[in-house]
Amino acid sequence: MDRLLAKFRAPKTGNPHLVRIQRRDKIIALVTARLRLIVALLFIAGYAWMLILPTIPTETTDKIDENALLPAQINTQWNWDEVHAADRYLDQLEHLRDTNASSAERALYLQTEFLKLGLDASTQSYTFSTVVGDSTGVNAYALLAAPRTPGAEAIIISASWQSRTGEGDGTLNLRGVATVLSMASFVRRYSHWAKDLVFVVSDGYLDGMQAWLSAYHGVSQPNLLADNLDIATSVVWVALNVDYPGHSFSHLGIFHEGLNGRLPNQDLLRSFRRISRQTGGSPVILYDHIDNRDNHKSLGMLGSMLPSWLQTPILSIPQVRKYIYHASNVLQHANYQARGIGSGTHALFHKYRIDAFTMYALPATGPHGFHTLGKVLESTLRTANNMLERLHASLFFYMLTSSDFSLKIGMFLPSVICVSVAMMFHGLGIWTSAGWTQIAATATELEKSKIVVARRIRPTLPVLAIMAMTHAVGAVLFYLVNTSAIATSSFRQVLVGLVIATLPMVLSANPKVASAQQDEDTQATVAVTLKALNICLASTVISILSVLNFSLAASLAVLLGVTLCIPIPSGSSAKWVAYVAYSALGLGWLAIPGEVERMVWGWQMLGVWTCPIVCMIYTPLVLQAVIVCKLT
Amino acid sequence: MILLPTLCLLFLTVAAVENESFSEDVALRTLPDGRVATTFTFNTILEKEAPRDPRTLFDDQDESQHYTLFPLSLGQVLREYAVTELHLTLNAGKWDYDKWGYPSEPDVGSGASLWTWMADGAPNSIDARWSGLRNALAGLFCASLGTLDEQRTTSPVIPFAPEGSLPDWGIPHRLRHASLASEHVCTENLTPFLKLLPCKGLSGIASLLNPHRLFDADWHGMGIHVLWDPAVGVQVRMTFQTVTNPLRAGNIRKEDWSFRSLFDRRIERVCPVASSSQVSVGLPSRGMYNLKPEPHHITDNMGHYDLTKDFEPMDVSIKWKNAFEYLLEPITPHPMPISFRRMLHGNSQDRGQLVVTLDNHLDNAIDILYLETMPWMVQFYLHTMTVEHNGSVDNTLLSNLSYIPPVPHAQPATFQVIVTLPAQAHIKLSIDVTKAFLRYTEHPPDAQRGWDLPPAVFMPLDASPLDAKNETLTTYPRGKRIYSSPMLVDLATPDFSMPYNVIIFSCSLVAFLFGTIFNLLTRKWVVLKLDGEKEKEE
Amino acid sequence: MQTPSSSAVAVGLVASRLLLATATSATDYLIHDHQLSSPLTSFRNLQEGIYLFNHGINPYSGGVFRHSPLYLSLFATVLPSSKTFASILWTFCDVVGAWALVKIWHARQNVSSTPRDGLIAASYLLNPYLVLPSLALSTSSLENTLTLLSVMFAAQGRASAALLLMAVQFHLSLSTLILIPPLLMLLISTPASSLALPKPFTGSTNRLPALIIEFTAYALGLTAASTLVCNGFSWVPQTWGATLTLPDLTPNPGLWWYFFTEMFDHFRDFFLMVFSVHLLIYVAPVCVKFQYDPLFATFVLAGVLGIFKAYPTLSDPGLFISMISLFPEIYPHLRHPLVTALLHLHAALLLPLFHQLWLMQGTGNANFFYASTLVFACGNGAALIDCVRAGLRLAIGKEVEGMVVIQE
Repeated sequence: MDRLLAKFRAPKTGNPHLVRIQRRDKIIALVTARLRLIVALLFIAGYAWMLILPTIPTETTDKIDENALLPAQINTQWNWDEVHAADRYLDQLEHLRDTNASSAERALYLQTEFLKLGLDASTQSYTFSTVVGDSTGVNAYALLAAPRTPGAEAIIISASWQSRTGEGDGTLNLRGVATVLSMASFVRRYSHWAKDLVFVVSDGYLDGMQAWLSAYHGVSQPNLLADNLDIATSVVWVALNVDYPGHSFSHLGIFHEGLNGRLPNQDLLRSFRRISRQTGGSPVILYDHIDNRDNHKSLGMLGSMLPSWLQTPILSIPQVRKYIYHASNVLQHANYQARGIGSGTHALFHKYRIDAFTMYALPATGPHGFHTLGKVLESTLRTANNMLERLHASLFFYMLTSSDFSLKIGMFLPSVICVSVAMMFHGLGIWTSAGWTQIAATATELEKSKIVVARRIRPTLPVLAIMAMTHAVGAVLFYLVNTSAIATSSFRQVLVGLVIATLPMVLSANPKVASAQQDEDTQATVAVTLKALNICLASTVISILSVLNFSLAASLAVLLGVTLCIPIPSGSSAKWVAYVAYSALGLGWLAIPGEVERMVWGWQMLGVWTCPIVCMIYTPLVLQAVIVCKLT
Repeated sequence: MILLPTLCLLFLTVAAVENESFSEDVALRTLPDGRVATTFTFNTILEKEAPRDPRTLFDDQDESQHYTLFPLSLGQVLREYAVTELHLTLNAGKWDYDKWGYPSEPDVGSGASLWTWMADGAPNSIDARWSGLRNALAGLFCASLGTLDEQRTTSPVIPFAPEGSLPDWGIPHRLRHASLASEHVCTENLTPFLKLLPCKGLSGIASLLNPHRLFDADWHGMGIHVLWDPAVGVQVRMTFQTVTNPLRAGNIRKEDWSFRSLFDRRIERVCPVASSSQVSVGLPSRGMYNLKPEPHHITDNMGHYDLTKDFEPMDVSIKWKNAFEYLLEPITPHPMPISFRRMLHGNSQDRGQLVVTLDNHLDNAIDILYLETMPWMVQFYLHTMTVEHNGSVDNTLLSNLSYIPPVPHAQPATFQVIVTLPAQAHIKLSIDVTKAFLRYTEHPPDAQRGWDLPPAVFMPLDASPLDAKNETLTTYPRGKRIYSSPMLVDLATPDFSMPYNVIIFSCSLVAFLFGTIFNLLTRKWVVLKLDGEKEKEE
Repeated sequence: MQTPSSSAVAVGLVASRLLLATATSATDYLIHDHQLSSPLTSFRNLQEGIYLFNHGINPYSGGVFRHSPLYLSLFATVLPSSKTFASILWTFCDVVGAWALVKIWHARQNVSSTPRDGLIAASYLLNPYLVLPSLALSTSSLENTLTLLSVMFAAQGRASAALLLMAVQFHLSLSTLILIPPLLMLLISTPASSLALPKPFTGSTNRLPALIIEFTAYALGLTAASTLVCNGFSWVPQTWGATLTLPDLTPNPGLWWYFFTEMFDHFRDFFLMVFSVHLLIYVAPVCVKFQYDPLFATFVLAGVLGIFKAYPTLSDPGLFISMISLFPEIYPHLRHPLVTALLHLHAALLLPLFHQLWLMQGTGNANFFYASTLVFACGNGAALIDCVRAGLRLAIGKEVEGMVVIQE
């Protein structure tokens, strides 16, 4: 310690300012000399942190922050009569399915059933038009006005006609709909509801609910043609979405990611978990990942990725199995959140500050059915009914590693921040070193050949122009992929990618840019300056995105972190390799079949930000790297 | 043995009939959706009396008050503040006009609502008396009427014209109106209500007012109305309305009801001081049913029972032959001239859009007076007000706009406009609103719940459009008030836990910038040789 | 904009701006944004005031309308308040502002045209902090133009014009008051750059009283006019009063709103006074220190306004940032331009993001947005401090090997 202090302690004598300056210079020298090391360490720390996320010891999610919720503290009234009612509804629904009735007929049937129960019911037909295809349908909804309340608040119980299984690949959610119907006939018998109950059976998978919610909140969408609703709308805090595709289920799965990575308040999920365990007696899992660590046959993709001869010895270690299980959950979460499209119908509610999630009845041969689901749903409704105010304690930033464990923001955010700080340091380092040039000492100088450094200017304006240009290209790309011509044909997409990939060559052929790199003694090269600013910009984008949508920021950090910072190889052939590699990194997504279509659909139908972010931020950033690699 | 009490009773009755009279009645009718609407009305009349002239408040000695039937505690309040006319209603629930039609008592806006007419010219201002009255009534009825302060008080004279008549003292009368949507009505309000009745809840029709059942109803509301009619005198009308749902309990398929099923009681004895006391039952026009006991007499399909003559304990009941079927289509003809919806659209916490849709069910055009009394947290952008009639914008349907802008932290807005509804029209009125940002001390304890906005009032005017400029009361026809349900608006909340941190952060930032700049400006520049002493100074 | 290239650039920019403003619906998206228009400068509030005025309701009786009666009379009578016309007018004002900036540059260099003209014009027309507010039709853009015009006239020595515009500007936003002393100094001395060689103030101070009297006359005249417009003084507490008492706590990129949202009621008045007086404190020292270059003093005080004024929008710091282009001589002495730029980049991205998280998504709370306003203030502060330092450092001369310049 003393030696360390001694390092900085200047001679006692002399002007205090001088002492201060000398100390400052020493420290700066100390840091700058080890800048590469620091950057490397930060990178390693960041990526390592990401890797160990699933194993971080986490607090159990038993604690409920909002005292009003009181989950699982009521005697549920749902009983076999209701189960029979649900079965009767199910028969009629199956009949509708077998006679493949049109959306209108289905909606009419549902409306009639609701009206028979004495609820105000109606239907809403809608038409979406996007460049990747239109979609039409008819929603049915009903309102149960709660007694003795002015009807200013409401809870939504919803089921989409198509199940989320395979992201709406056509699997029907008949039992979910039946549950909603019989729940409607059940709840109207009780006077303890403090909020109106709104029952929605939305057509299709996501489109129906999107149309219904837009109408409910009076939000107009240019490519949406939908009827207005016939019920007076009120404030909604919580919505429960039921998804029950199989004929019975073994676990209840939680799906909670919303559009653009927005998550529902964690208290809601915790309450549901407790209710389903204590009231329903059904185990709760995250997504459809069953936690059966005892037999390591079925351990999801991660387990099967290992070579077969390794599986038995490795997977016999419980920690490894735990890690693999948690890791698969985290990966799934990252997938849903980064792609921004959410993990089910509940995702659409979040945009309107409604905390919602999907309770997914994992298809199995038993033991649970309508009886369990109904009890759990009723009890969850009662819990939501207890709320005096909107769920607000800042429990929106978390990451579930399993249904029982979650990471607080402080535990996962730093991983990305480390990477972005490393990039920032690296960028600043390049920037400062670009500002100096080394002149070998001339003979007239002192014989001890010391290296003289001289300031030189950096070509900031042209570089800024280049960066602006790349983002403009990104904007054009965004416009292009949103035209039906491009969005629907993967051939054209690849073509666009190739065209854009050639742009840097055109640019570097431009004499102005070429002339900008003469005379390295007085002026830094465009390439170096561009690299510096490019890295700084990327780091800024990553660190800021990390608050909004952690998974997206993390994937950007993985994709751009090191790749932008590694020095460009000197050999011309190697340069070409780098060129191609960068172009592939920046534009490869255009070649993935169906990806563009999915992104465009998400943007035009649901307003998911993935498409603009990829087109106008990610790709341009990489393009700048391509230009750097062309100019060096 | 029985003689003595009977005698006392007799004297009481005799004493009563001097210049006070009390009458009570209850009316029950089955609604189209199977629910049962009950209306209790208790009338106490102080004959040939007039409200107090506020100028007599100067001499602090008021004439002494001897009442036998008239509620003394209320009477004292009325004289103390020289109130000419007073209406207080405490309702819970949402009156569903489209299914239930007009209520028999018009004021059904949910929450607490109080409006009075008082003459000016007292030593202390009307507003002082208004606040005094509020607090007195708050004490009397255990309701939080004290919070109906200036931030909620308005005076929209057109829809709230006096129901009685105002004495001609040659001094102007003023209206004060305030409502509190978030008030919860329950037993603690019923008990003082019963205390004001001559027979309390012990005998007569009032004995049916059983809190356990009343407050389990789908809708319930109580009202106290004081008004003056020169022919009659000062009249206190106390009402209690409920809408109960016989089909709610269990798996019942029939809408049968009886006093027992509705109130878990029957009328055991009459109230001896009641001059009239009758039960009326609306006779349903559809279905086969059996009404027991037989009504004493029937007028325009209402069956009446007079309790004052040859009384034995009674329990009226209706039994239906067939199970009840809910209507699958809306009722025709529509029970109301208009139906409406009022919504606050938009998902942002800093702005929104107020949307009101109105449907005219009549075959002729009709003028609707539309009144909003908005707290200042929600401010209108009137220039964005548009009216859509069958999809096309047509602002000519609006007339006689009168608007008193809100004053932040002080006074609510009063927005009043007459909307002309063409025959069978569906129109949509929309106004952009902006939501205020409050100081952290102004938020209620459960800030994240938001604020309850008072109900809007619609009043069909059966006369030609009137000009809102010279509001002379007599020119206005008596339309029936229609109340929308209140709305919940969530305002952006600051963080409540860290005022100190904010003050510290902001102040230190300001101090830092200030200090650095002044350092730069004041300190002296010097050039140092890195390997030695100071060289030159500026 | 003499050189063809620069004029072409300017024309292109203006055309694209007009296209953005009129053809696209950008305005409808931005017009609500709290960072682009404050309650005092919001176009919607202006429209509301005009509506009330035309319907015989005193717009100043409520709490929504806080614009100066000058705006009211102008838009209620002369100018139509339709959005398309407004966006054309706003664009035009920006062009005038850019032109004024170039003219100031000319006056400072004492030449009629330089190759940097195009660059300077672009620095005004391309500055996102200025483009976005004028797309959102925030009246702060008009006020910027006025300020630049009056500075231009002052630099050209045309006293009456400068004073009149400054009086108008003073009416539109009270806090511009602190720009008046340097402006007067500019009027009686020269705009030429003498940062490199400081000298005591050389100006005919005997002209000062006349100028002050003239300014007061204009100000009083305008006050009288405003009072006539809305017969009575009801406008004073609503317009000038608002800047001093902060009745409307709508968020903005400044430091005041959250501070006074969280302030304890019985300290409110005290801190309101402190914050208001704090603005005035800078005037004297800056004017004394930079007495040899009043234009630079104006520039510094504009920066102070951008950070500390009561209802700032992005266009207030934007004005300061664009004015940096007038002082190329200080560039070599800037210490950390990139860091400042990155701070601004962070803030510029964080402000809308956290605004969205707080008010739209409801996941983040008010502290998020407050934090980003702090970052923004740091960015502006860093820029201001760096400029002041460079402006002073310039006098010492070039850095010599083995020497170091410090302050003691």
